[in-house]
Amino acid sequence: MVVQSRGLRDKYCIVGVGETEYSRSSGRTTRAMAVEAIRKAILDAGLKAADVDGMLDYQGGDSTLANSVASDLGIRFNFYMDVMGGGSSTEALVGLAMGAIEAGMCNTVAIYRSMNGYSEFRIGGTGARAAQPVRGLDLAQVPYGMRSAGQNFAPTFMRHMYEYGTTSAQVAHVRVAHSKHASQNPKALLKERVTVPDVLNSRWIVKPLHLLDCCVETDNATCIIVTSVERARDLKHRPIHIMGVAGRVSKPRLDFHWAYGPISRVAGYYAKDIVFPQAGITPEDVDVTGSYDAFTFTTMLQLEEYGFCKKGEGGAYVSSGIIELGGTRPNNTSGSHLCEGYTHGMSMVIENVRQLRGTVDDYCPRAAEGIHTYDYSPRQCRQVKDAEITMNLGWAMPATGSALIMRR
Amino acid sequence: MPQPVQYRGMALIVPDNDSEWKEFYAHARAHRLVVRKCKACGLMRYPPTHACPWCMDLGWTWQEVSGRGTIYSYEIVAHAIQPGFKEMTPYAVVLVELDEQRGQPTPDEALRVIANLVKVDFTAESEADVAIGKRVRVVFQDLADHMALPQFTLTEEPAAGRVWRLPE
Repeated sequence: MVVQSRGLRDKYCIVGVGETEYSRSSGRTTRAMAVEAIRKAILDAGLKAADVDGMLDYQGGDSTLANSVASDLGIRFNFYMDVMGGGSSTEALVGLAMGAIEAGMCNTVAIYRSMNGYSEFRIGGTGARAAQPVRGLDLAQVPYGMRSAGQNFAPTFMRHMYEYGTTSAQVAHVRVAHSKHASQNPKALLKERVTVPDVLNSRWIVKPLHLLDCCVETDNATCIIVTSVERARDLKHRPIHIMGVAGRVSKPRLDFHWAYGPISRVAGYYAKDIVFPQAGITPEDVDVTGSYDAFTFTTMLQLEEYGFCKKGEGGAYVSSGIIELGGTRPNNTSGSHLCEGYTHGMSMVIENVRQLRGTVDDYCPRAAEGIHTYDYSPRQCRQVKDAEITMNLGWAMPATGSALIMRR
Repeated sequence: MPQPVQYRGMALIVPDNDSEWKEFYAHARAHRLVVRKCKACGLMRYPPTHACPWCMDLGWTWQEVSGRGTIYSYEIVAHAIQPGFKEMTPYAVVLVELDEQRGQPTPDEALRVIANLVKVDFTAESEADVAIGKRVRVVFQDLADHMALPQFTLTEEPAAGRVWRLPE
């Protein structure tokens, strides 16, 4: 089915971003973290609490609802909604925020995600989640020891290796690139650069995933503020325009992503036909990508499916140097989920907003003023020079994904 | 409501109103692997669902299948998440394509089932023997009077197509 573009390119903007510290032990509630992240984003935009009249958040029974955090901040709503959802919700909620504003329901929407993703509700399925009984749809997988995200996705990765000859060493380059980027990021949990042998020699978690093929579960909250281009014009930063968005696009029979083949195909196969026509660009026009890196493989699969390389050539693409800072199209310049900290997708959009502003928060002393050295050696710069167009590739699972194209 | 079945530290719950799974497990306990077959278009589906994903018809019957198939993909869990699986590591989770309905209704579809690849005593199959393309048959691991888990075990049949496993 063809989705008709609604002519909204460049009519909505991201004007504010904010996040808490990334940690493995926040020692506080998701409510407290959400309030901090939203407040930072409001101040980053140059807005006041009274200027924000819409709110969207996503979670999986592990966070605080919008009514609580808005009350704490003194926000009165014209629109709010709490969404059940995981990865790939970020881009989808940006689109829903545009829709709420376009429908005349509100003017400015704060989108947040707050999670004690390591110290309380671990995404991986241990901790509080492990005690839940197994019933309903879960009976098709969980009794077989297939529960965590890695266990859920690994057959997809394995089949890609079978079909296309993709190797562990090729995909390890995703970790290598993201660790390089994290070494330029004061916020990152894992700032040490790693090599391909480091990845291949790390212990197995679930084959074909080594420990270093997996992201780092994290406590954090993050926030993004969306408003109309008219409202954005007189705010603090250069407005970052939304060119196109695709939200939670799925493969058929998505209750189990392995039910419909080929399983090495992921949802970007469908999402690309929504988001690129909206934006009026092709992959070649994108300067920086932000791809959901719950695992090294997820980045490889998505870059391939959105057409940054041919299907089946993702292994060669990610190991070519293209995705590293200094390459022709760097991916996940903050180090993102694999190295910076796991945010359920928010941080890659935040990073791309900062890239487009030219104010990435690296180690350059005058980064906030947009003055960078472009020296990509450790503990230096991670700003991409003159980045004009970015693209985010959001992942929930092989069968569900989102995408967001922005320009400065 | 039947008591939860305790298996590897998990409480498996199949209440009387579980209109998808309850009869499936009763058949499995009688060592029959069944899937739902659409009364309108005749296509079979797994896991059990209420409507036909191809024609949306609500009519269906349980159809027994051979339980024979081919490993389409797999994983080897080295680091168990669930505590009850730690003693089983390394264990294989296999995605099996059953012989019935391969390549239907489109070339990329099939009746696919997730289970463990086990030996006849339900211990984990040796990792070196797990590979895409190998032939398997269903076996039933009895857990309670009303429940058994379908599992797969290797057969002596020649492989179907290219045999591949993750290089060491």
